Amino acid sequence: RGYSSAISKKSKLILYNSTVIRIVGSSVIGGSFWGGINQADFPVVDSTGTLKATISLGKNPSIVTAGPFYLVKERPTDTELTGATNLMAHYGLEHSYNKSSGKRVRDTLSSFLPLLPGYIDSPGHMDGSSLRLVIDKPPVGGKELLPLNSLQMTGFRLHSGPLPEQLRSMYLSPQKKKHKKHKHKHKAGDTPSHQESSAAELAAAAEKKHKKQKRHDDDKERKKRKKEKKKKKQKHSPEHPSSAGGSSQILNPSLGLMKTILE
Amino acid sequence: MTSPLENLETQLETFIENVRQIKIIVTDFQGQGQNVFNQKIQTIVTGLQEIDRLKSQVQDVHVPLEVFDYIDDGRNPQLYTKDCMEKALSRNEAVRGKIDAYRRFRAQLLVELTNVFPAEMAKYRAIRGDERPIS
Repeated sequence: RGYSSAISKKSKLILYNSTVIRIVGSSVIGGSFWGGINQADFPVVDSTGTLKATISLGKNPSIVTAGPFYLVKERPTDTELTGATNLMAHYGLEHSYNKSSGKRVRDTLSSFLPLLPGYIDSPGHMDGSSLRLVIDKPPVGGKELLPLNSLQMTGFRLHSGPLPEQLRSMYLSPQKKKHKKHKHKHKAGDTPSHQESSAAELAAAAEKKHKKQKRHDDDKERKKRKKEKKKKKQKHSPEHPSSAGGSSQILNPSLGLMKTILE
Repeated sequence: MTSPLENLETQLETFIENVRQIKIIVTDFQGQGQNVFNQKIQTIVTGLQEIDRLKSQVQDVHVPLEVFDYIDDGRNPQLYTKDCMEKALSRNEAVRGKIDAYRRFRAQLLVELTNVFPAEMAKYRAIRGDERPIS
């Protein structure tokens, strides 16, 4: 390790790694150093060989008794409250915890707010109704809220009749974000900031409806064609009531054919 | 006497109900419904004024931002409370375990050091005035 020790009667100096730090104490035996301790009280037996000393030099070199041990600091005061205590019991929250853990809490938001209409369990970022958005981009406020005068109310005059299908479906099912843009006639009262997002939603809803309608029509046609085919087959089969004159109706033409063959 | 939070909740529910009724009127609007519709619009404005007035009563209510993440995901905010308590409990137990481990380590270290350096440890204990037992 490389330390040297200088033995003298009164003051001893030990250099650790050739660095002079501080001088302490009285006598050294065999490289060990005890500062501020009476030898008569404690037998100086060096069993470590690597105890360090401290030296303070300057205009007025002083002997500072740092204790026999290197880096011994004052013990921190014992605090009453540590992590080892049961903090739930300490703060009187045990009852609340037992109550909350015992109660079965449903996962959905609608179970917490059952009185709210509409579908509220959808993620807020999908329809731009997230609370995070309100925090990140707070709406313009601070203006006085005043009732609307008659001139302003004229902007809310509506035309009679039901809403168009694409607008109506907005309220029925959860909306999925789509990137198509579509122009719509908006009723008075729609704010410009909502128009773009609502237009995209309307287009998505409209397309969905259109596809559904098409599928429904296709199914209908297919069923019609099947029925016609069946009728034709039944007409030509020998078991048909018009040809045989019987009262029983043969539902499965192939079965009817097999019957005639067997007969 | 209802609390300010309950008042605010009632007012918000009334407001939402009003908006829902407007939606119904607008979905299939008839000419004679114009006056009712106008009335509902004015009710919205007064509802907003009322909510604005109530905000001063709930200024001291602090809501953790993490709850908003739960709500935005369509989850019950009571789950946040539950998760918070469970997290606190598990952290408490983890810290207690750490403290216990350090205590046992200290005791063990003192025992071993006393075995190897009896004189030094006697001095150490004298300096510390340690009254605590080693093990």
